[in-house]
Amino acid sequence: MKITRLLPWVIGAATAVASLLPIQASAEADAEQIVRNSCLSCHTDEGSSALPQSKGQKSAPQWSRISHQRKTPEGWLMSIARMQVMHGLIISDNDRRTLVKYLADRQGLAPEETTGFRYAMERRLNTQESFESEEFTQICARCHSGARVALQRRPASEWEHLVHFHLGQWPTIEYQAMGRDRDWLGSALNSMVPQLAKQFPLESKVWSDWQSAQKPSLAGSWRFAGSAAGRGDVEGSMSITGSDEKGYQLELMGSYADGTAFKGRGQGIVYTGYEWRANLNIAGVAMRQVFAASKDGSRLEGRMFEALHDEVGMDISALKDTGVTNQILTVQPSYIKAGETQKLTIVGNNLKGKLSLGQDIQISKVLEKGKNKILVEVRADTKAKLGGRSVTVGKSKGGDLQVYDRIASIQVVPNFSVARVGGNGGSTPKVTSAFQAEAWAPGLDGKAGTDDDLRIGFIPASWHVEPFDEAAKADKDTRFAGTMDATRGVFSPALAGPNPDRRMSTNNAGNLKVVAKLTDGDTTLQAEGQLIVTVQRWNNPPLP
Amino acid sequence: MKHLKPVNQKADALSKAATDNQVDEVIAMQSVAGCTATTDPGWEIDAFGSVTSLCQPMESDLYGCADPCWWPAQVPDMMNTYPDWNKDAPSAGENWRNLGDVFPKSKD
Repeated sequence: MKITRLLPWVIGAATAVASLLPIQASAEADAEQIVRNSCLSCHTDEGSSALPQSKGQKSAPQWSRISHQRKTPEGWLMSIARMQVMHGLIISDNDRRTLVKYLADRQGLAPEETTGFRYAMERRLNTQESFESEEFTQICARCHSGARVALQRRPASEWEHLVHFHLGQWPTIEYQAMGRDRDWLGSALNSMVPQLAKQFPLESKVWSDWQSAQKPSLAGSWRFAGSAAGRGDVEGSMSITGSDEKGYQLELMGSYADGTAFKGRGQGIVYTGYEWRANLNIAGVAMRQVFAASKDGSRLEGRMFEALHDEVGMDISALKDTGVTNQILTVQPSYIKAGETQKLTIVGNNLKGKLSLGQDIQISKVLEKGKNKILVEVRADTKAKLGGRSVTVGKSKGGDLQVYDRIASIQVVPNFSVARVGGNGGSTPKVTSAFQAEAWAPGLDGKAGTDDDLRIGFIPASWHVEPFDEAAKADKDTRFAGTMDATRGVFSPALAGPNPDRRMSTNNAGNLKVVAKLTDGDTTLQAEGQLIVTVQRWNNPPLP
Repeated sequence: MKHLKPVNQKADALSKAATDNQVDEVIAMQSVAGCTATTDPGWEIDAFGSVTSLCQPMESDLYGCADPCWWPAQVPDMMNTYPDWNKDAPSAGENWRNLGDVFPKSKD
């Protein structure tokens, strides 16, 4: 049964009112009115506040269910979207944004509470999850990511509601594998709920501390650097203007290691005082930023990815220009081979002092010396001491440079990946998979595979795929499942839909071995990973 | 199980794997965020961590599994949540292009 919660004139009036008001000017009052209009036909008004409130907030309205949970912005978005899909809630995108902001600000997660699970918000969908509790893996993380659960906070009564909702909505949960071998409902209610209420409780010290903490503005000039699978290192500058009340504007200019420049602009929102989200357009491609600000507001860490192809993106670290001289963000690349000459880029803010790259590294040429970037040609002595050293500019340290003598082993990262067929007129785009070759030096003992092995970094390699096993060979998976870019390590899957050229018209799925090869001196090194090329998914919320 | 005999290759493979205790080990591997570990049958991966034993092409059996919510986090379930998901695709094999993704477009 579907119920329409709002009469059309109410929606029209609410939208018109929202569009006349200055953005965020009375966002709190707007949000509370939206809740009254849109949510209270099912939820009930409970009167006073139950949650500890932020500074300056003496009391807050409290509503059944809604006021007894805390979530990420993505979590709140999914909850409201679920009300739309399952309970007939009608709400405009604008009103939903207002609600997500209001709820994430008041009932979000403290920075510490997202540690270890940010991969879900950052859309790192090849993350292999591992949880101590086998029961949690089997009851919760069997259908969706465990992170979706771990990024929520509820009291036991609310976790209980969630269990009942799951069984009511998806009753086959009880007779699927890992459901039919137990009293699923009994396990979920009597064992899982207490675990969740203890591990992910509604109230926590870190949350109450964060609520009362100062939240620095993220407006300012930022230097960013990072790495994009398939493209290598990136670096650039980002300007953020605006405020939490009025919204943020963003301008960005950057370049890849091969010199290709890019620039873009967009809008940003800060949720919960530190969760930066921005939508921007770079060369006609819609991109999204999911960053966490440090508590002092001086750093941003996260991922920037294509909105349509969220598997295509880059890891980003950014450092705010606070006026301090010689703030070093990173060194690119972060490695050099003993006896070799190469270019190095030092990325930072207000770089004015003398550059030193540490013991046994000589600067042979300064190619560019800018305020925020130093490009040099350097040589590592043939007998340079192996291992890491800090880079200094003036008296400031920052950025690590590894010196290695040989590559002893390489690994394919990720070593297990999932790509999906797509396109061909269907609603879901192809999901590609990008791989990188991670190089390791033998360390001081000269032996690969021991504890003192030294991570060098990601090194260019050549790439190809092979059948993973006999069945993949017999089904000609390498012919049908897609193609690997030999230089970039990016696998593009084939088209969706039944393929009449395959046995039983099967899909262009495949089970492939991903092979990276590179030559270091006289040695050829090889590593393998596994790539599952599988079918599309049509249910694709922000948290997997 | 001793009175049941596998009638096709997939059943034979499953039977042998179950005897050798391989199935649980494979399921434990399949913890990629967002992929389902429900592999009886599986959506992304079969019980062996491969794709050979999936229902393929998946369009042949899609509604048989989507209707009883077999992988509701990946494939819209038509029992409760998205009863009209296939209204423009009476035959999955012929009309799969009309199956839409279900989360609202805006991700803010």
